[in-house]
Amino acid sequence: MARFLPLEVTDVQKDTRDAVVVTLRPRAEDAARFAFTQGQYLTFRRDFDGEELRRSYSICAGLDDGALKVGIKRVDGGAFSTWANEELSTGDLLDAMPPMGNFHLPLDGSKGRHYLGFAGGSGITPVLSILKTILAREPKSRFTLVYANRQMSSIMFREELEDLKNIYLGRLSVLHVLETEAQDIDLFTGRIDAEKMTALFANWVDPDDVDAAFICGPEPMMLTIARSLKDNGLNEDQIKFELFASGQPGRAKHKAASTAADSGEACDATVTLDGTTRSFRMPKSGESLLDAALANNMDAPFACKAGVCSTCRAKVLEGEVEMQTNHALEDYEVRQGYVLTCQCYPLSDRIVVSYDQ
Amino acid sequence: MTDMSIDDYLAHGGKLTSPGNVPARYRGELLRLIASFVDSELAASAGFADTINDAPGIKSRIAAARIVLEKADHAERVLAKMAEFGVDTARYEGVHPWAARVARDADLSATRQGGDMRLSVFHYPLQGWVDAVVMNVVQGLAANVQIAEMAQVSYQPLAEVFRAIGPVEARHAELGLEGLAHIVATSEGRAAALDSLAYWRPRVAAGFGAAQSERFERLARLGLRHRTNEALQADWATALDAHLADLSLI
Repeated sequence: MARFLPLEVTDVQKDTRDAVVVTLRPRAEDAARFAFTQGQYLTFRRDFDGEELRRSYSICAGLDDGALKVGIKRVDGGAFSTWANEELSTGDLLDAMPPMGNFHLPLDGSKGRHYLGFAGGSGITPVLSILKTILAREPKSRFTLVYANRQMSSIMFREELEDLKNIYLGRLSVLHVLETEAQDIDLFTGRIDAEKMTALFANWVDPDDVDAAFICGPEPMMLTIARSLKDNGLNEDQIKFELFASGQPGRAKHKAASTAADSGEACDATVTLDGTTRSFRMPKSGESLLDAALANNMDAPFACKAGVCSTCRAKVLEGEVEMQTNHALEDYEVRQGYVLTCQCYPLSDRIVVSYDQ
Repeated sequence: MTDMSIDDYLAHGGKLTSPGNVPARYRGELLRLIASFVDSELAASAGFADTINDAPGIKSRIAAARIVLEKADHAERVLAKMAEFGVDTARYEGVHPWAARVARDADLSATRQGGDMRLSVFHYPLQGWVDAVVMNVVQGLAANVQIAEMAQVSYQPLAEVFRAIGPVEARHAELGLEGLAHIVATSEGRAAALDSLAYWRPRVAAGFGAAQSERFERLARLGLRHRTNEALQADWATALDAHLADLSLI
């Protein structure tokens, strides 16, 4: 099960107006658990007004940097990223889970490969970790980074990338694509679209020469690039993705409490699944909420029916339920109203539940 | 640059990469797919374990033992993806009796039994070596098609596991075909193999699901399915018929 451990903030560096690079140190006894693979991320948790938020940020350090660092860019309305940018300081403790993620390929120091990296905005953080590691551990390999940003001033790690180009002369190429600032060459202005990808492969990079590609950025960019890479002959195994942030909601909502009397034998249940809401009456005992939904022809998701697999997870928006067994949800999920519907029996006379949240 | 919903992204072939960017309904369907595979592999491994003692020679014993081992290994590797969603995998491993089987003549069609998500074909008992080899061939060729489909799922960490285990699973079917070639060399063996084929073929076919499936539509929108049940079943039937023709079994 997921476990949080404390990390000490040993440095906070402002990288751009909207981004900080945070250096973290695990306790001596946790050091082995925080050994990471390039391209992985850390998940942090923090209480905001009594409500726990969890956010994942990619490690931007290479394997040989000797430090654990994450880049945190402020997003509009983002409680965690704003806090990290404005208030986090040296000496603070942050709770984090050990590194996770599969955004990497095996290293081989004897190979001379050509890697392509595509990063959009703060999507640079894991790509930086990967390219630093590859350049250090695969001395014959090359890395071409295509890096999209809104404008010059929002480019994260700009100076560090320049330094890396000098250290690894001829092995690292960086192509900046800026949305709002015109540059000398057309390829470099605007967004990364199909046309730019075609130009990239026509003028800058021979696709037959590419061994693998890493993409991290917003959804439309990932789609465009992946399609173009496949059109140019790369297969699924050669393309690694990391999608960031957008699946993470800004702030969890509080569940509304029902004030109805709770004396009856049965309960009015209102259940939402795939945008469709259905109401039915169900007994307060003998039939789980999942079974009641299934009996009412709702194709609710489930698997083990034993409170273990969490496939049947849903959120209680109104009313109270009792969960008999829970081997899957964590305390913070339960506090937010999540339940395993296969183990759920209503306590109140009315419940409102959604599988869509 | 970020004005695209996750639904649109998935509908256009986008990939999700960690539990943190998986929407609620996607999570449910993804875990269901994973559970179905894990349960099937664990049941297949458990069911095949008895076959080791039915195997006629050392080579066939090794082949049967290898299948038992590797299917359990594949279950573990896919189950590890569930752990990233908070599932207590140690507890999951014991949640159903994987070796349990129904009566040979029970009729389950394609329905799941309670919370056990194994494909219904893995609820039927094997009857001796020939039956086990035939079942392994018929279901093994189906698994090739099903795993190729799963290797395309939009949850990249899972797709990668399926791409890694695909060749090993394919080898299981090959081992079955090698065993079957020995069996059909005698007329008694051929007769027994034909009986078993008649038993297993419709039961494996049922595992592909209904031709018109609402679930398929929903999963396809999420990028969790790509080719229809009918198309997969047709691929399987073609592959099976070709192998059976090679062995003069049709």
